[in-house]
Amino acid sequence: MQLILQLVLDGIVHGCALGLIAMTFSYIYVTTGIFHVAHAGILTLGGYLAWYFTGVGVPFPVAVAIAVAGSAAVGVLIQKGVYEPLMKRRSTPLVQLIASIGIVAVIQNLLAIVFSPNVLQFEMLPWRKSSLHLGSLDISYPQLLTVIVSLVAALGLLLFSSRTALGRRARAVASNRSFAEIARLRPYDVYVYVVAIGAGLVAIPGIFLGVDQALQPYSSLGLLLTAVIAMIAGGVGSLPGAFLVALVLGVLQNLVLAMVPGRWSQALTFAIFITFILMRPTGLFRIRMQRAS
Amino acid sequence: MMKRIRIRLMAAGMATILPLALWSGNAAAQAKEIVLGAMLPLTGSAAQIGLEEQNGIQFATDKVNAAGGIRGYKIRIVYEDTQGKPDLGVLAFNRLVDLHQVSGIFTAYSSVTLATAPLATRKKVFVLNPAAQTSKLATASPYLVNTISLAKDEVSIIAKYAAEKLGKKAAVYYDSGSVGIDLRDEFKTAFLAAGGTIVADEAVEFGNTNLRPTLLKIAAAKPDFVFMAATTGPGVTGDQISQIPDYPTAIGTSFFAPFKNYPVTVYHTLVKSSVTGETEKEFNAKFKTPDMAFFSREYANASQIMFKVIDYLLEKGRPVTGENLRTALFEVKTFDTPNGKISFDTNTARREVEIHKLTPAGRTVVEKIAH
Repeated sequence: MQLILQLVLDGIVHGCALGLIAMTFSYIYVTTGIFHVAHAGILTLGGYLAWYFTGVGVPFPVAVAIAVAGSAAVGVLIQKGVYEPLMKRRSTPLVQLIASIGIVAVIQNLLAIVFSPNVLQFEMLPWRKSSLHLGSLDISYPQLLTVIVSLVAALGLLLFSSRTALGRRARAVASNRSFAEIARLRPYDVYVYVVAIGAGLVAIPGIFLGVDQALQPYSSLGLLLTAVIAMIAGGVGSLPGAFLVALVLGVLQNLVLAMVPGRWSQALTFAIFITFILMRPTGLFRIRMQRAS
Repeated sequence: MMKRIRIRLMAAGMATILPLALWSGNAAAQAKEIVLGAMLPLTGSAAQIGLEEQNGIQFATDKVNAAGGIRGYKIRIVYEDTQGKPDLGVLAFNRLVDLHQVSGIFTAYSSVTLATAPLATRKKVFVLNPAAQTSKLATASPYLVNTISLAKDEVSIIAKYAAEKLGKKAAVYYDSGSVGIDLRDEFKTAFLAAGGTIVADEAVEFGNTNLRPTLLKIAAAKPDFVFMAATTGPGVTGDQISQIPDYPTAIGTSFFAPFKNYPVTVYHTLVKSSVTGETEKEFNAKFKTPDMAFFSREYANASQIMFKVIDYLLEKGRPVTGENLRTALFEVKTFDTPNGKISFDTNTARREVEIHKLTPAGRTVVEKIAH
């Protein structure tokens, strides 16, 4: 029983990180229409930026802020430098996807060149190995921070999307770009804001997963794949749906381990997902934001 | 008019002669150079090991070239990145052989080496393997020579030791790559034959750093010890093990050989891999490393074996072809290396294997086995 509870707890931690990745991916996809695979590269970049600045003596919270800002800036560069020219030339979604995949490869390899392809740990943070004991269960400090910060960031994104003028403008652009252009909502400016916000927020799980486990330049695509699945199963466009399904997937991936050997856990998790999506192709939640066809 | 024609003729002549002169100069330079290939995982999740391997080869190559080369021939290595993937390995092999026309290649990674072994046989290219350990490599190609012991040799040693000294209930933790699965199977066979039972059998995906759920499950099975066959950074594994209460004693082979500060006691076999103190100092100064890693040592030593075979061929006046490299290796048969004498009765070297005990306090050698 203790094993099950501990696996659930670890699954919740993993699910919260996945949830924020899924939400931010969904937010960018629904608004811009770009299948932003480069999100995986920015997820990794955030962790490395925080590692670097913490390593040169910047206090960890400040390093986190710099990493978030740096990741947002890279998001802006990607939108202005790659996606926007492609959109203006009316390139197909496939071309945009290929460009995005190219960006991931560039970011990952640049990180490997600059920081080495070795597994890096936040050795400079001694508290990362400390744990909080909840009865017979353990949760490490980085795990605890992952949950708290991911939940706060996810809630913040939801509030931003529904309660602010810019958030509402983004929803309007997402629902119909042509009308948004006629209404002078300046969709291209909105895309820049949305990609920057998504990129800044996705740095958070990149940082805290890095503190808890380790950093590796090439490991984020697997996480993004699970997050994309969460987005689809949650109902494309439903930000809470993406987060909730990611949370469930995180727990499920861990719980499945208790029932079958590890080598079958990924296959079983995705088999459950395929069964679910066959029964409910539009996802768990009704779509709140959807691009016009 | 005539002057213009003369100028054009001179220009045409220069245009013909200059490339010829350059080509002949180049050919002369090439004649004094032997080109070898290395297909290593230089990017991707195995790049850490791949770069250690590359440093080992380059260190040995720079040294031999600085000493004037092999009988006047400089050695040049062409590196190809495989990312540890068999499909990229096949492309790398073809580029090295068809484009760079190498006759000898250093390889790494079991799946890559297995995928390229049939090509080595077909194209008669000599392949030296100082790192990949899957047991299938013993008979993968007559042109493939393993300078390291294979999985089954080391596993049988540690399985027997563990059954006698540590207990009869084992868990297995391995990564889902070719060598991880091979080690698991070899261990299960050897340990069951020694009268043991397997109480847990858990895989982690190669490169995955979230190991906690799998480690938790292993600990919950309460084995006497766990056989670990995964290479995800020992630091990452160690940190996550340290957060799991009552994690059992670990055992492993050279494939899983943490170097220090491991939170539980580890017994593991290690192929004896040495270099002189002076060499290590020189290496560390050159690559700015704190110590000469296992794979750097293995590739530097394997390079010496390759160079010795080339030297033997040049001495006999025989061309450096894949076929001749292979034949010469078995003619020389025994090589003096910092690891003592390494002999090749078969495609796989006979090496001394040690059993190390690693505790938070330090490392001790508990047994030495020559096989």
